[in-house]
Amino acid sequence: MNSRNKYGYLFISPFFIVFSIFGIYPIFLSLYMSFTDYKGIGSPFKANWVGLQQYLRLASDKYFLQAFVNTWKIWGVNIILQLSLALILAILFSDIRLKLKGLSLFRAIFYLPNLMTVSSVALLFLYILDWQHGALNGLLLKYGFISKPVNWLGEPITAQLSVSLIQTWLWFGHTFIIIFAGIQGISKDYFEAAMIDGANRWQTFFKVTLPLLKPIMIYVVITSLIGGLQLFEIPFLISQNGLGGPEGSLVTMVLYLYNQAFKYHNFGYASAVAYGLFLIILIFSMIVFKGMFKEEV
Amino acid sequence: MKKLLSAVLSMILITTLFVGCGSKTNKNAKELEINKDKVLRVWSFTDELKKPLEYFEKKYGIKTELTIIPTENYASKIQPVLESGVGAPDVFTAEIAWVKQWIDLPYWENLSEDPYNADEWEKDYVPYVFNLGKDSNGNVKALSWQATPGGFIYKRWIARKVWGNDDPAFVGEKLSSMENFFKAAEELKKAGYKIVPDEGAIRWFAKGSDPKPWVNEKNELQLTQAQIDFMDYQKKLRENEYTAMAPEWSPAWFASMQGPVPFNAGWDKLDKVKSDKKVEVFGYVMPTWGLHYVIKPNAKDTAGDWGLTSGPSPYFWGGTWIGVYSGSDNKGAAWEFVKMMTHDEEFLNWWYQETGDLLSYKPVTDKVKDTASDKFLKGQNHYQFFLKEAEKINPNIVTKYDQGIDNIWGNVVSEYVNGKKTKEQAINEFYKQVKNAYPEIITPLDKQ
Repeated sequence: MNSRNKYGYLFISPFFIVFSIFGIYPIFLSLYMSFTDYKGIGSPFKANWVGLQQYLRLASDKYFLQAFVNTWKIWGVNIILQLSLALILAILFSDIRLKLKGLSLFRAIFYLPNLMTVSSVALLFLYILDWQHGALNGLLLKYGFISKPVNWLGEPITAQLSVSLIQTWLWFGHTFIIIFAGIQGISKDYFEAAMIDGANRWQTFFKVTLPLLKPIMIYVVITSLIGGLQLFEIPFLISQNGLGGPEGSLVTMVLYLYNQAFKYHNFGYASAVAYGLFLIILIFSMIVFKGMFKEEV
Repeated sequence: MKKLLSAVLSMILITTLFVGCGSKTNKNAKELEINKDKVLRVWSFTDELKKPLEYFEKKYGIKTELTIIPTENYASKIQPVLESGVGAPDVFTAEIAWVKQWIDLPYWENLSEDPYNADEWEKDYVPYVFNLGKDSNGNVKALSWQATPGGFIYKRWIARKVWGNDDPAFVGEKLSSMENFFKAAEELKKAGYKIVPDEGAIRWFAKGSDPKPWVNEKNELQLTQAQIDFMDYQKKLRENEYTAMAPEWSPAWFASMQGPVPFNAGWDKLDKVKSDKKVEVFGYVMPTWGLHYVIKPNAKDTAGDWGLTSGPSPYFWGGTWIGVYSGSDNKGAAWEFVKMMTHDEEFLNWWYQETGDLLSYKPVTDKVKDTASDKFLKGQNHYQFFLKEAEKINPNIVTKYDQGIDNIWGNVVSEYVNGKKTKEQAINEFYKQVKNAYPEIITPLDKQ
């Protein structure tokens, strides 16, 4: 090794130092805490060692299971809507026959919700969805779509659906931009060739665009999965006291973790929940990854 | 590289050593030094301390810095800071929900010791307020300038219209027991009014009529018969349409203070009622701060025509305690501020003039209680009323679990009221959720 290499290490060291302090250390500390009954007071190293007890509790915890199911429901509806909406828009805007105008304007508008702070979004929707004074019920009643106000955030199903829709509204612009870029990345030759061969729009979409978009779609689904399984802010803010809405229907896995740690001070158990969550995300990311690349393997 | 690292590490070690020594010598000193060049750092969860700090700056010539963290995040933000001592405040406040948790932790300076000797002030305070600031060994850790007993705050013009009398004593008699409360609710309903905004409003009376802590000294969960009875009272309120269905802190709830709000008569009977039908709420179950900071600013048009009386049982809700951070290096100024806030007649007199808030410091309350009157309450003497209510409060029912268990209980009761669960299911679910939140608490399910 020559002396120049040494300088190289020096220059990259800040990242590793910061990452060790704020990344690696907490990761190992929470692993350690998950084997204790730490309650958030004093040093975690003085807490009682309880072995695998927290993990055994996690395995039979019906509230965690409920949180798991809630998270999947909310994410599932959201990803289907978000992906279809973004895909339709991306195809419309990239269609060489349609030649839609104002792309940059629309792109900005679609992306706008993503730039708002989540807390303002939550507050906005709390007012829109309020069942007595909310704008949504007001409009629906006025035009006769419903005969009585719907308590959107008061029933488990509508509350979960509301959160899914908010998430979709927040993220479809982001997904649109990625998918649109993906379509732009596909060589025009393919589309022209398909046109010359007499393929109609549907055929072009299913036989050309979609297969070539697959890597981008996988990227979108996996990042959304990782984000979606960690869903926290909107359910936390929209269920005001943070307890998770009607019948606990908005308790996601991370909200459950948060409540265990910061509301009830069960830091040991919350750490075990965090590792459970890590394992779940890892497993499902692998399934998605493997599943979508199946044909090539 | 290694050398640099070891140098940095040893520096850190040495400084922490000195810090350790510093606080020790400070403790032994009888007199606290006041360093006027240091900024006094204060953390709280409301902006209530803004004006007192301005007053303090003028009086003592010490610069201050107030950090406000919203209630929801206060505990989770401040606790790590107090644990580590890094960037910690010199003075911090706690709401009733946290005071019990923090009092037995080494966060607040022991004010019973020299040079503070705050335990000598006991006779100067409303008893329950002073008691809640003591740890389990009886040492004073925190003080409070206010007392927060509750009452029933009502619209006088409705009382006149329905009963021909708006006198607080008369209305208090109308609400003196749960039985009377429901009679009054029926009378109000016939005249087109709703006695309370929502079912949850009466939860405070459930606590007061049978004052037992949620968790006893054996760490067992206690669900009293009175509390179970209140499940039915709440259901009765819903079923008989005695409420406006405007949950606490919702936009409808705030709006109902100003005037009539839309009413929807329960989810499934909506078809019968026109959606533009409006109803008016008669009164609110709120404590001292609710009168000053919630109702007054939301009922400006009707100021002067409100009344204050007692409900079926006494209760208290909230309250802010203040103390000196044990790891502070500016304890002199910190103590001066705490002292000013809680034990300075001149300041507290000014504070009373400024806010009308109920103080816990007797030398001041004794002076003002006979002459106090609140324009908003048609000149009624709110001070005498609240002080009398404060005397009835038993501080022994407060536990560190209260906020968490209250929330869980509120949720299962509303599931029962909404018909989602039977009474047994709701109670069972309550036990399970408490166990899940606090594994150390013994619930009846553990005994089976």
